[in-house]
Amino acid sequence: MEAKPEEKAEIEAPEIEYVSYGGEHHLPLIMNLVDQELSEPYSIFTYRYFVYLWPQLSFLAFHKGKCVGTVVCKMGEHRNTFRGYIAMLVVIKPYRGRGIATELVTRSIRMMMESGCEEVTLEAEVTNKGALALYGRLGFIRAKRLFHYYLNGVDAFRLKLLFPPPRQVL
Amino acid sequence: MADKPVYEEASIDGQPPKLASIPASDTTVWADASPLLQAACAGLRDGELIHGDNFNLFAAMSALEIMDPKMDSGIVCTYYSIDEAIENGAAPIPISLDSTIDVRCTIDIMDHLLACEAAWHKGHSLAQTVFSCIYLLRLDRTAPHALLHSYCRIIRATCKAVVSVVSDARTHEEEDLFTMTYGLPLNGDGDDKCLSILNAVEETISRQLRACKATSSKRRLPEDLEPLQSNPNLEEGFCKALLCRLRFRKHFFHVLSCMKRPQGRGLESARKHIASCLTELESILKSADFLRSCFDESCEGDIDDKTTASGFEPIGFDAMLNSRLSAPTPPRAIKILSWKKAVEYFVKLLHDLDVICSYSLDPHLESLLRFVVQFQKSQPDLVARSHLQLLLVQDGKLYGRDPFFAVINKAAALPEATKNHDIQKNESFLQLGMLVMNLLKILCTNAAWQRRKLGKFLQDWRVIYVQLELAFRNEYGEVSSSSNDENTCMKIFQHILLWVEEQTYWIAFRFLILGFELELYSTGEYCMVYWYLYAVLIKLTEKTHLMMAVSHDNAKRKGKKKKDSPKDLARESRIPPAVLFLQCYICLAEGLSMYLSRCLLL
Repeated sequence: MEAKPEEKAEIEAPEIEYVSYGGEHHLPLIMNLVDQELSEPYSIFTYRYFVYLWPQLSFLAFHKGKCVGTVVCKMGEHRNTFRGYIAMLVVIKPYRGRGIATELVTRSIRMMMESGCEEVTLEAEVTNKGALALYGRLGFIRAKRLFHYYLNGVDAFRLKLLFPPPRQVL
Repeated sequence: MADKPVYEEASIDGQPPKLASIPASDTTVWADASPLLQAACAGLRDGELIHGDNFNLFAAMSALEIMDPKMDSGIVCTYYSIDEAIENGAAPIPISLDSTIDVRCTIDIMDHLLACEAAWHKGHSLAQTVFSCIYLLRLDRTAPHALLHSYCRIIRATCKAVVSVVSDARTHEEEDLFTMTYGLPLNGDGDDKCLSILNAVEETISRQLRACKATSSKRRLPEDLEPLQSNPNLEEGFCKALLCRLRFRKHFFHVLSCMKRPQGRGLESARKHIASCLTELESILKSADFLRSCFDESCEGDIDDKTTASGFEPIGFDAMLNSRLSAPTPPRAIKILSWKKAVEYFVKLLHDLDVICSYSLDPHLESLLRFVVQFQKSQPDLVARSHLQLLLVQDGKLYGRDPFFAVINKAAALPEATKNHDIQKNESFLQLGMLVMNLLKILCTNAAWQRRKLGKFLQDWRVIYVQLELAFRNEYGEVSSSSNDENTCMKIFQHILLWVEEQTYWIAFRFLILGFELELYSTGEYCMVYWYLYAVLIKLTEKTHLMMAVSHDNAKRKGKKKKDSPKDLARESRIPPAVLFLQCYICLAEGLSMYLSRCLLL
């Protein structure tokens, strides 16, 4: 039996509640999570841009009333393709490794697919093994490498998931 | 909601900054906007947003919250301005009244500047690295301190030279932070004399070193020299430590000047200066033991993380003073490389520059391409790659010397005589010359950028092929003409068309191979990648083989008066080694592709 890692919260999978972005009351929860965990600073406008224009693409994960994870996305026309974009994905440390992030992303991608997106993209640090594994399992490929994309000098991969053309999905 | 703030106040960590009030002037006056903002808060309902039509993601990301230290580059952290910093003693001249400490501090500044320079080369902004030095920002003040002054001058001149090289190479898209110098005092009056100023200081210290060696061997002092600092036991060590640092800067500046000379004329001299730089860097590393031991106080923290050889924090640096000049990036504390890593960086840079300087300026394009590919394997940084690019492409010619049509002529195995043919003025051939030039530039960029550019570039090569083919058909149709000149033109077209195809497949091959280096392929994709490699390699080998056969024909025709010796006949039937090598690749690619496809099935 492996020793349990420190700080792991004791939960059962069905105890996680997934909720679509429901309005202003969710915004501070998302902002707090992202501010804590991600290094790039975002202004309030950036958050509003996403959740105001595409509320159906953002999801939150709750455990016993506490927000433990979130995904924030957008979609739109980009050079003749209708494309989804995953802007932020966060799950707080004690809740990682349980598939919460995968579930959040999957819900968002499903919504993008239903909305007519042809593909989904995002950027991830080349050193972020967790994210790369997560998206790899979902079928994302590494389309490009972006040199020194992040301000700390780390490269990024542009990850891309191509949806099969609509007529095959019946 | 009207009397409560809608969002939490941004917290400022640590102590609040000193409130330096900005005074109103004749034409400006302060007005209290609080009532207006209060009213605005009440004007919107929960979740409402007013925005213009042009409110897009870029606009949202560019917005910043004032007084949020993560976003506000204008936030006052330590001092409001450089002048205020100086007034508060952040950059004293002399650094210390105790001459021993003054010298040690000067060396610390030199070391930290080296670390800053390396951090800048590695991709951070000049404003927050080298120009975080207050002495450098107000260089004229340092005039009474000859050592500091001469060192700062040469640093400034060096940075300017490096910015110029990287700007000329025009890879702005990939590393635009590097060349941002707005507001920075890079242009100094009299910087062209920085070498002579440095030489004077070097001379003085050399004399002092000789003097203190003479004293220790109890010989009489030839002149009445003032010692560098007050502790005679430390004089020799300090002189040596200073000399190697000054000499490194001198030789490095010479390397840059020599490499700048057109058509590679300065490369040999540059190599000599590179060798001197490396020697001085070794001495600089060795000086660390002395510098660490000469004071009783030991410094805290891990010595390997320090930005100075002595381990002490340098005086006179403040990275946040220039944060406003670093916009549009958000304020970020840059981690300056450790002094050890900085020296390692310069050693690598010098080795990379040495490889460039050793290159023989081979007029054969295939050799050049092989050289560039090989050079890139050592993952050279921006400064080295920019130097290579400027060596290869100058004034629209290869090495500033060979017109690209002549280069293509040779690469396409055409006889020497055709290189001056009028056909090169044809639009398609002019464009082809541009493509070759761009190919060389692209091959000098970093691997990530290079692969993306090569992918898009394939299209251009295909288009030029079609254009050339069309031009060929229009001129000559299917009928073979009897005119000599028309025969030559036909030959030029045929060779070049074949060569363009070969190049196109070579670019496709590079595109695929780079994916491995960049870790773009997951293990599940290897089978597909090797299959593509196999397909591309087959075509590449075919074209290469044809190209060689055609070039052999030419060679034969030259010496057609001689009888074919048995040796020549044997050579003809052998497959050229270059083609054999490609065939090995084909076998590898095919084998791996099949093996991996079996693995997928299992």
